[in-house]
Amino acid sequence: MIPRWPEGVGQVILPTVDSTSLEAARQAPHIAGPTWFLGLEQTAAKGRRGRAWSNPAGNFAASLVYRPGGAIAHRALRSFVASLALQDALIAATGRTEGLRLKWPNDVLLNGGKLAGILLESGPSETLIIGIGVNLRAAPTQAEVETGAVAPVSLLSETGTDITPEAFLDLLAPAFAAVEAQFLTYGFDAVRTRWLANAAKLGEPIHARTVTETHHGTFETVDAEGQLVLRTAAGQRMISAGDVFF
Amino acid sequence: MTKTHDSDVAFIKALAELLRENDLTELQVKRDYAEDDSLNVRVSRQMMAAPVATVAAAPAAAAPAASAPAAPAAAPVSAPADPAQDPGAVTSPIVGTAYLSPEPGASAFISVGDTVSEGQTLLIVEAMKTMNQIPSPKAGKVKRILIEDGAAVEFGAPLVILE
Repeated sequence: MIPRWPEGVGQVILPTVDSTSLEAARQAPHIAGPTWFLGLEQTAAKGRRGRAWSNPAGNFAASLVYRPGGAIAHRALRSFVASLALQDALIAATGRTEGLRLKWPNDVLLNGGKLAGILLESGPSETLIIGIGVNLRAAPTQAEVETGAVAPVSLLSETGTDITPEAFLDLLAPAFAAVEAQFLTYGFDAVRTRWLANAAKLGEPIHARTVTETHHGTFETVDAEGQLVLRTAAGQRMISAGDVFF
Repeated sequence: MTKTHDSDVAFIKALAELLRENDLTELQVKRDYAEDDSLNVRVSRQMMAAPVATVAAAPAAAAPAASAPAAPAAAPVSAPADPAQDPGAVTSPIVGTAYLSPEPGASAFISVGDTVSEGQTLLIVEAMKTMNQIPSPKAGKVKRILIEDGAAVEFGAPLVILE
């Protein structure tokens, strides 16, 4: 059963767009409420800090733009809200929970491979843009991703589920609205607890690479600010920005 | 809350403890007792193998230009002015990594001497894969940029000084 589209939330489907997040930023001053921009084709898709994001036809690329207000540090916790919502939508699409794990702060893994990426932008006038890409039909080749990164996978190859981007948005938008409501009513702790229950490599050794250094340690937890807590030989270390490697 | 010297000392001690326990380099707290009566505490510590200075070396205290012919340097060297106390300081609203340009290779959001308008993006601080655009709180001129591209910044760390 397809859940109801959340009340008051807009939807714009673009046959082709440079990037859904760029379009969301351009439209941000004019929106009347939270709005999803779905791009069936992206000609200039971008990952974190200008990295390439391959977006073959049939894959999902959408950005939600809204004005959640609140302090910037609080707004950034939507990273966890978005990854949980995406996981819920994937469970709804496939009817299965096994194999789905979350990698700090917001990657969704399937059978150990990278299925989706999320990038948020907090902009002027308390605007937040949440860009979500999911390899529904095709995954980029290993050559297209960074050395050492988790190998990409697609939903189709891993589960046999073939779903269109439009149908997937019909699952994701209500899922996001539900987790967002939980976040607003019960706070980050409720979201964090659920996120940790679905985390990959909790209690296991991982690497975290920041701009300047790489830390090796045991993935202890995610703290109340959303930071990755690593237990390293030199003591506990909190990481707020960086990439995690297994 | 009653205000006593002892409770202030205990408060500062507790902050120092927090700093050590959480492996922080700096912590700044303002405690308001009443109107016009507050305690401003900033504790910081030197880290071994510090991860990129969050604050660029501050030139000596901003001396008024009108100072008379330079007096012989007999006076002890005063501590450098704390950029966080500068009324034109724009501080980080979040712990994260600061970037001076929208993406690697792109030109910087601002340069020293630029005139900026209120709300204009000065830089980005990334945390939890959220790129937080830091808006200028007012119109003005960029006097100093205190961080390097890719620097780790703490909550409340001064990023830019406007005048």
